[in-house]
Amino acid sequence: MFDTLIDQFWSLTLSGIALGFIYVLVSLGYTMVYGVLRMINFANSEIFMFGTFATIIISRDFLGNVDGSKTLPLPKLLLTISLCLIGSMIVSGLVAVFVELVAYRRLRARGTNKLATLISAIGISIVLSEFMRMITHSRPTLNPRILEKKSLFEIAGANFRIDTVLTIVFAAVLFFVLDRFVKFSRLGRAIRAVSMNEDASKLMGIDLNRVISATFLIGGMMSGAAAFFYTLTYENTKFNVGFTLGLAAFTAAVIGGIGNIRGAFFGGLSLGLVEVYASAVLGTQWKSVTVFVILVLVLVVKPSGIFGEAVQQTRA
Amino acid sequence: MSKVLLELKDLTIKFGGVTALNGVNLKIHEGEILALIGPNGAGKTTVFNVVTGVYQPTSGEVLLHGKSLKGVKRFNITKMGIARTFQNIRLFGDMTALENVITGTDVHKKSGLLGGLFGLPRARREEQAGRDKAHQILEFIGIDEYSDRLARNLPYGVQRRLEIARALGTEPKLIMLDEPAAGFNPAEKVELAKTIKKIRDAGYTVLLIEHDMSLIMGISDRVAVLDFGQKIADDLPTVVQNDQRVIEAYLGVPSDAS
Amino acid sequence: MKFLSVFKDLNLRDKGAEFWENSSPTKRKVIATSLVGLAALLPFMGVGILDTPVSDYGAVLVYPVGMFILMALGLNIVVGKSGLLDLGYVAFFAIGAYTMAILGTHTSLNTWEIMPIGIALAMLAGFILGLPALRLRGDYLAIVTLGFGEIVRISALNTKAIGGPNGIANIPVPPSIGPIKFNLNDQKAYFWVVLIMILLTIWMIRRLSVRRAGRAWEAIRQDEDVAELMGVNTLRYKLWSFSLGAAIGGAAGVLYGSKTLFIAPEMFTLNVSILILACVVFGGMGNIWGVMVGAAILAYLPERIRFISDARLFVFGLALVITMNFRPDGILPRKKREKVIVKKVSN
Repeated sequence: MFDTLIDQFWSLTLSGIALGFIYVLVSLGYTMVYGVLRMINFANSEIFMFGTFATIIISRDFLGNVDGSKTLPLPKLLLTISLCLIGSMIVSGLVAVFVELVAYRRLRARGTNKLATLISAIGISIVLSEFMRMITHSRPTLNPRILEKKSLFEIAGANFRIDTVLTIVFAAVLFFVLDRFVKFSRLGRAIRAVSMNEDASKLMGIDLNRVISATFLIGGMMSGAAAFFYTLTYENTKFNVGFTLGLAAFTAAVIGGIGNIRGAFFGGLSLGLVEVYASAVLGTQWKSVTVFVILVLVLVVKPSGIFGEAVQQTRA
Repeated sequence: MSKVLLELKDLTIKFGGVTALNGVNLKIHEGEILALIGPNGAGKTTVFNVVTGVYQPTSGEVLLHGKSLKGVKRFNITKMGIARTFQNIRLFGDMTALENVITGTDVHKKSGLLGGLFGLPRARREEQAGRDKAHQILEFIGIDEYSDRLARNLPYGVQRRLEIARALGTEPKLIMLDEPAAGFNPAEKVELAKTIKKIRDAGYTVLLIEHDMSLIMGISDRVAVLDFGQKIADDLPTVVQNDQRVIEAYLGVPSDAS
Repeated sequence: MKFLSVFKDLNLRDKGAEFWENSSPTKRKVIATSLVGLAALLPFMGVGILDTPVSDYGAVLVYPVGMFILMALGLNIVVGKSGLLDLGYVAFFAIGAYTMAILGTHTSLNTWEIMPIGIALAMLAGFILGLPALRLRGDYLAIVTLGFGEIVRISALNTKAIGGPNGIANIPVPPSIGPIKFNLNDQKAYFWVVLIMILLTIWMIRRLSVRRAGRAWEAIRQDEDVAELMGVNTLRYKLWSFSLGAAIGGAAGVLYGSKTLFIAPEMFTLNVSILILACVVFGGMGNIWGVMVGAAILAYLPERIRFISDARLFVFGLALVITMNFRPDGILPRKKREKVIVKKVSN
């Protein structure tokens, strides 16, 4: 039972880290929105899903990468990677802004209870995924290969493939940039101010709607980036691709302490590792069950997450 | 003096780096009206929140009839005889006034969901008794005429009184009123003072947070003063009124400057 | 959304309740009996306007219409009455259906004997899930229940003993009750059973609503912290709410299994939970009449209009967003009006 785990430990660790970085980026979408709204962005999984389609459409249809049998020549490859990454981030970011506008804003303006907003968010999430299901006829969409998954080097049996390295490096850089941005930029400070105290920041003259839109945009862009790396690695997507991935990324956000950006980093990586190890032991079909059990355990035992702030805030 | 009902023993509570209460000792005797006063942010509502189990004290304890409330669930604290109202009214708006009070009376019922579902005799009896009692309480507070109105449609003053009625529904030994006169005009305050005395005379013990000095001086048996989370005075109203430290706390003047 | 505002002042629910309260006991009995009678005759009204071109009318009445109403009433206890967002409701439906399938094919028990077992197992599942999950607030509960629904499906998918992805076939139909026989070509008998289950559920909800449990749920929905400070054992009543909702889902599942005669994990996806949630929300959370009307409309329309049938979930998702944004109380909102006119107003 544990043979696979022991034999391929380093190789599994590497793929766990790569997967973990995808989780890190998607969980930022959850964690940032939760920070400012104190609400789960239920549509984040669909925001991610739109990013995967954006990547494929840009690469396959706009740039005509339909051959898929070998790595593209270097200039074209660089062009494809940068256009797809940016395009995917833009599309996901815009979908996120749209979600906020349609599902959250009106309800927030009216000050309705949380339940109504949650249901509205779930509704928009269904609308988005069903929209994609209908236009793709429930079929998976293939992304013709743009780069051969060649091994760059090998350490202790762990095969550092080019796509793995790309994912890890780019995601780490993106995370670092975001972290600095939230820390030091004007908008980032506004986002943090709203996260800490909405009423006070309103009094300080912060335009709440703008900050919330921006938070959705940034969170969405991170999910979009994740979508690009996901599509690069797995080379296909489907209308429901966001569902399990979204649940996992949300779990990562909870592990890290939802609302906590650096927590998302550790949460994403540890979940990626645990998921890969667990799959090696239990079989991949129990992957989402493992993730779910972890989610429930964390929520029940330490709801504030391992790095985070309290989730169950009691007001009286 | 009569028996001690509730005792705060060396109560300290910290939120992060902020000390909301610092070593507070306070005894509340059966059948008295004790007013808890102090400047904003002195920790008055925090006392209510610790007593009702909303916050756990960092150190020290709360004793009801000499028994510690440490770790007792909130609904059980209510069952043991402590009820409260809220500074910002928190009624069940979609229920009628009567239903709000009946919800309070539910705490002592023995029959549960199944008894109610199958209409067992005890459940029917308790339901009727609760309804009667709720009417009595509304009558007692003087708002029975509103019993079938939805709480959120009631006039402000009635809502404040309904909060008291709902708390009385739980048959408390100690009722804690958090600024019950907030937003009242002088005539309403006089009315409220009468009601609070009536509640005391009916055998309840009252702990009162209030800002209106004339109201407090008129009805309290004793006044305790909090400032920056510490108790700085605890005596008869007339004594507290002239206490130098209390005056300073309120006026913010250091003693040697006056 | 102009047309929706027309309904704003027209609160049908209150008008109906007023009419009901002003009627004498005999008149009430007549109204109730004729309504039930009318409902029982629905299977005979399949000609003309009510007919469903997409699928068989008699079957549509049982599933989705009747079943959706039943499940929506069950979910309404959880979402509407107690304000707990349960996105894993399908799990209880699945547990009921699998209980029927397993016991129906492996033992000599019949549907009616399996029914209480299915209900008990669904309640137990509700309890086991609720014990940790109901300590969490709002959105966390939603995501944990959503996960639970998926877990039940994935477990069924990966468990060979219960057919894995192939599911279970040859589930027996219920035994006859007197002259009434159950068969798939003429589903009147099924419909009547669903109707009885709906009536029982309505009875239960109406009864509990005016008792301690109903008040506790209402208090929890409106302000959980205050409810607890007023002495409501919130966890206990949330668990009750959850388990009763589960029980109804389980009961619906048992009957469903005994009607489709074949079940497989793919029938129990998150979509079912969403469909039922849409019924509750669209009709009016917390109001049984609203929930029934909502479920009837949302279940019936896709069978009547083919376009909606293809885009069913899309439309339901849209219904959720639009209802929440423009008419959060649904078509028939919960009680807004006050029972008795104030006798004397002193101020």
